[in-house]
Order: sequence, then structure tokens, then C-alpha cells
Amino acid sequence: MIRAKSVILFSLLCSAGAPSFALASDPGYGHGGVNLGEALPLFSGAPFAGMLLSIALMPLFTPKFWHHHFGKVAAFWAAATGVPMVLAYGGPGVYEIYHVMMVDYVPFILLLWALYTVSGGILLRGTLRGTPAVNSLMLLIGTALASWMGTTGAAMLMIRPFLRANNYRKNRSFMVVFFIFLVANIGGSLTPLGDPPLFLGFLHGVPFTWTFNLLPVMLTVVAIVLGIYFVMDLVMYKREGATAPVEAGNKDSLRVDGSLNFLYLAGIVGAVLMSGVFDRGSINIFGAHRAVADLVRDGILVLMGILSLMTTATKVRDDNDFTWTPMLEVSYLFAGIFISMVPCLLILKAGSKGAAAFLIEGVREPAHFFWASGILSSFLDNAPTYLTFFSAALGRFYPGMPESLAVPKLLAENAIFLKAISCGSVFMGANSYIGNAPNFMVRSIAEEAGTPMPSFFGYMIKYSIPILCTTFALVTLIFFRW
Amino acid sequence: MSITKILFATKFSELNLDAIKSLLDLKQAGMEEIILTHIIPRDEVAFVPFGGYLKDEEERLREEARIRFEDWQDDIGKAGVGVKVFIEVGDPAPEIMKIAEAEEVDLIVSGITERTDLEKLWVGSHTLELLRRSTSIPVLVSKYMVSCDINGECVRRRNEHPFHRPLFAADWSPPSEHALQFIIALQGAVRKVDVAHVIALKASSDHDHPEWKQVEAESRDRLNYYCDLLRQAGIEAEPHLAAGHTASEILRLSGELSSTMTILGTTGKDRVHAFFLGSLSQHIAETSDVPTLLIP
Repeated sequence: MIRAKSVILFSLLCSAGAPSFALASDPGYGHGGVNLGEALPLFSGAPFAGMLLSIALMPLFTPKFWHHHFGKVAAFWAAATGVPMVLAYGGPGVYEIYHVMMVDYVPFILLLWALYTVSGGILLRGTLRGTPAVNSLMLLIGTALASWMGTTGAAMLMIRPFLRANNYRKNRSFMVVFFIFLVANIGGSLTPLGDPPLFLGFLHGVPFTWTFNLLPVMLTVVAIVLGIYFVMDLVMYKREGATAPVEAGNKDSLRVDGSLNFLYLAGIVGAVLMSGVFDRGSINIFGAHRAVADLVRDGILVLMGILSLMTTATKVRDDNDFTWTPMLEVSYLFAGIFISMVPCLLILKAGSKGAAAFLIEGVREPAHFFWASGILSSFLDNAPTYLTFFSAALGRFYPGMPESLAVPKLLAENAIFLKAISCGSVFMGANSYIGNAPNFMVRSIAEEAGTPMPSFFGYMIKYSIPILCTTFALVTLIFFRW
Repeated sequence: MSITKILFATKFSELNLDAIKSLLDLKQAGMEEIILTHIIPRDEVAFVPFGGYLKDEEERLREEARIRFEDWQDDIGKAGVGVKVFIEVGDPAPEIMKIAEAEEVDLIVSGITERTDLEKLWVGSHTLELLRRSTSIPVLVSKYMVSCDINGECVRRRNEHPFHRPLFAADWSPPSEHALQFIIALQGAVRKVDVAHVIALKASSDHDHPEWKQVEAESRDRLNYYCDLLRQAGIEAEPHLAAGHTASEILRLSGELSSTMTILGTTGKDRVHAFFLGSLSQHIAETSDVPTLLIP
């Protein structure tokens, strides 16, 4: 059925883009990706748009169908991209899809898996009383951890203690919203471990420590957002007149179970750092070149995850309500995302020679990149959005130049553009529930624990637009002014 | 030891009520209360990708479970047994264990209903996880109705009185001792127990060797000792010594003796050990066509 639909789609693509496909069929044309990017028609990105719109709209309008069939939806869009590409371009088409899976998808999923597994083995126990000061401190700790254990890992570690500490409070919804802002998004901006977009940048040649340059922007945003939170919580706290239930002499002291996992976390950080520093050549795996250091890194990531599974007490994971479901969902969805975004990335990398030249021309200033990547990250997943604008920046400044040469030049000559893309993609993932994967996990856990959460539009109208968007406007004026 | 409180965990497969009724024989052994438990798997309602939580779906599933349990409560109540109900969202096996430990139940019953041969390889993962996790509470894998092969014919069989004639496979380990005590506590519900021991034979063994004879003699003595203890408790008992592949022999004896249940002690194996070498008790629980009671 899927194949039949794809063939129909392919026929449509062929009929509309005949000149491009004719070029592609020329012997020797299409190798290296850049030429293919010049040949691909703009609407070859339609399945990518379909994939992202499915992620954005189906959970809202058909949540039950989406919950049970999202894998099939992702497979459909992947096939709608892959089948026409392979039929039209043959070898180069296969190569591009295989390349993105081997070089981007596999390490991306392995890192997420390792961080998810290791952080799922750490449990913060004990009784906390959710006062404005304690809550702000918890948010600050979560924000700081997010860059080192991933926004997903930090959110999973902190959300349950945060909810437990505040279960006596009447107004809890806004707390979880700020938790999503800070821990599940903004906090992940300092290292490639923090948020998937930055890891994709790292995979494409951005050094591990380069993201430390985002610290001033991040601190500004955290100071403003956390400050607003503290004031709001203080007002609510006084208005509620809430008092914590008296613990009858059995107050459980704070402690961390599964602390061995911090060692594995250090192993993950070390492995990623190592892969960015050491150069031991590369291996050709059926046509895809992968650095030896990257393969060693991926091996260490898997090892850290396995060690965590073997040495962490089952009870710790049980009490953490650890489940593989979110990880499986992300791995299915991102397989679809990575395949369907291949044409878009190739077109954008082709710069002014590609079908998206108008976009490259239209997005010129750092502020443009900040807001364009940010607005798209608000409603589409931020990882592919980052890669899209990363490719657009490369295409704009260094069209046709191999990525290994273009990325260092971009960092040396036009770093502010990458800063704008990085900040836009990471920060504005918080603008809606669908901007970043941990957002929905936090929402799900909070709702399961009995905390009512605002609706999709309520979240944006009451919180993200007035608080985040005004903060980002200020950030634009300070850091990305043109 | 007494068996006053049991936890019945259900996913609402068909014939669950009949399976519960088959447990009412335990009333004669002192059972006072059944805790009906249904765990809505978290994955069914939570973590909708980029969505969140299906609160309405959770409420629907809870309501369905509540109505079904209410229907069952009447039947169980008529038998003079108390009922308590738990409907929770979570990971089934750990959630069941949490409730069982909090309620201090004496036995957990997890149902496997009718399965085809192919499905046997794949289903029952929650029950298997329960078996792996329960290190202090006995678990009964209830098989009320199974399809079994009798003389080349597929026959559907109902296990209506699982406690009437159990086969107790003993290996003299501490869990076997616990199992013996548990059977004694079942007095009233049990009519006769077949106590079996399987001596694992290796191809290279010299069966005329004095050491082998000694093992056989010791096994017979221990079988008789177990039977004597059961008889002293007022339970009819019969010893059976077998040799060969342990799992196959237990399954063979269970069939030949028309056993209504297989009872085994379980020794906890870590996950790695269990993954590579498997577990005898799990194998019996998966393949036997009678209920299997595993006692840690």
C-alpha cells in the first residue's frame, strides 16, 4: 500500500520536475551530494513537511490514532521520500539516504539511548518542601545538569522530585511549564550533550567546546525566566497560604540512588569529547566514511548504557518509572525524520544554486536565523530544524564547499550565525509542547501525577508568548542585533 | 504459614471469572480475601509522541475495569470471600509486586488463558517478568483453559480444581523446603500430592557406580521423608523418582499422573544467568498445560 502511494507520488514528482530528473540521470552526475542538491526540485521536501506536520498536528487532533500508528506514519513519509529518490537517482539517491542514517541517525540515537539509560538509573529520593526558593533552586540545578546529561535526562531525573515537593500546592501547572522552559530546553544549550540539535552540529564538525560560547546568551535567558518564575511562585505561594503537610517525625532525607551512573555519565561526556579531539583516520562502511574515533565513541556509549543496565538496582528504575517507550518512539520517529529531510538538506547545502535560493537570500542576518530557526523549532522538532538552518548558513556563505572545509570557516568568519541558529533551535523548542521531545514526556508525567497542564494553545497564550517571546526579543537586541 | 490473602492480577482476558472460581477451593485452606488487580500499562495512555497523556483514555479503561470487577465481586462475595480492588496505571510487573508487598499477600495469581503453540513463545511477558521479580511471594501461573495434544488430537482442557492433585517437583533446595511448607498450608484444598524428584543423568555417567546408587538411595529417602511430612499433615502423598532431563521428566510425570498443578521451588537467578541459561521454573511455567505454582 505504502509502495503504491509512493509510486504515485514519484510519478507526480517526475511529471513536475522532469528537467531536474533528466540532469540526475546523466552519468557521473549526483555524486557527493552537492550536485544532487542542485538537481532536486523544491517539492521533493514535501514529505519532510508532511512528516513534521504529522508530528505537529496528529497528537492534537487524532491523539489515539497517532499513539498507536505513529510508526506507520513515519514509515510512510520516509518511503515517500526514499522511493522516488532511489528510483530517480539510483545509486546517489541510495547513498544519500544510507549516509544520513549511518553518519547522523545512528550516532544520534546511540547518544540519546545512552543518556536516557544512564540518567534513568539515577533516582533522587527524599522529602522536599516546594517553597519558591526551593523550587527555583531545583530548576536551577536541573538547568545546569541539562547540558551534561541531556535535557531529557535532566528532566526525567528532576521532574518527579519536583512534582512530589509541590504536591501540596494548589497551583502547580505554571511550575511544570517553567520546568519545561528551563530544564527541558534552555538548560541544554551549553554542550552537544545537552540538546539533540547541538549534537547534530557536533557530528557535522562543530567542536565540543564551541557551544560554551553560548553561555552569555544562556545566562541572560535563565536569569530572566527564572526571575519571572520566582516572582510568580512567590505571589502564588502567598496567595495560596499553603503549608506543607507536617511530616510526623519521618522526614525522608535527600539522597541519590544509582549514583554509580554519574560515573557512566562522565564516560559518555569523555567519549563525546574524545571523538572531537582525536583523529585516527576513518573507515569506509559500505561507502559511508566514519571516523575511527566516532566508532569508538559509539562503542563506549553502548558500553556505558549496558553497564548502567547491569549495575543499577531494578528497584531504582522501577521507582523512576523507567520505560523504554519514549526511547522507542523517538527512534521510530527520527528514522522517518532523518530520511525525509535528506532532499531539504541537500537543496539547502546547494545554496544559491539550489531550489531554495530564495530562502537563502531571504534569511540574511543573525536575527533572521535566530527567529527563523526558533519559530520553526517551536512547532517542528528542533533537531532537524537546526540542521536545516545549519545547511542554509553553509549554503549561503560557502555554496558547494565540502562540509569539512565550510564548517571551520563558518565558525571563524561568521560564528554569530551559528550562535543564532543554536540559540534559536534550543531555546525556542520551549515555545510549544511539540518543540522538543522532553516537553511531551514532562507533560505526560505531570498529568499522570495529577497536575493539570494547560492545553496546547493555553501553554502558548498564557506562558510561552508573553514570557519567552519577550525574553527572546530582548536577547535579539542584546546578542543578535543587525 | 497460612494462605489467607491472594492477589489476582488480570488483563481481562476471557475466562478470568472461571479462573477465579477455580481458586475458591483455597477457601478450604483458609483463604479470606482476594485482591483483584488490573494494571493499565502506562504505555497505553502515556508518552504519546509529542502529545502527552491520554487522560480520557485512562478514565475509560479505569471505568471498564471497575465495572468488570464489580460484576466479579458479586460472584466471589457469594462464596464468602472478601474482595478488594486495585486499578492502577504503571508498569504491570513492578506495580503488581508493589501492591502485593504492601498488602502482604500470601500468593500472587497471574493468568495465562488459552494460547496457541506459536503465541506461547511470545506472550505472557508480564507474567514472566513477575516470576523473575517475585523473590519472596509465591506466584501461581493460572491456566484455566489450555489446548493440549492428547494422542495427536488437540484437546481443550479446563483446569477447574487446580489444587486437588498437584505434582511437587522437589530438588531439596531451601525453596523446595518452602514449597513443602506451602503445600502443608494448602491442607483442605489438596487431596493428594505426587512428590517427584528428577536425577539429572549425564551420558558419560557410569550408572552402576556405587556413587550413583548412593544418590538414588538418598533421593528415595528424601522423597519418603517429604511424603511422611505431608501425611503427618493429613495430606495423601506418593513419591516418584525419575531420571533424565529435568524439565521433560517433570512435564512427563505431570501428564502421566494427571496432575492438576505443578509446584516448584525457584532459586533466584540474576538476569544474565537467566538470559543465557534459562530457568527451569520459567520453562515449566511456559510449557506445562497445567497451572504452575512457583515458590521462592
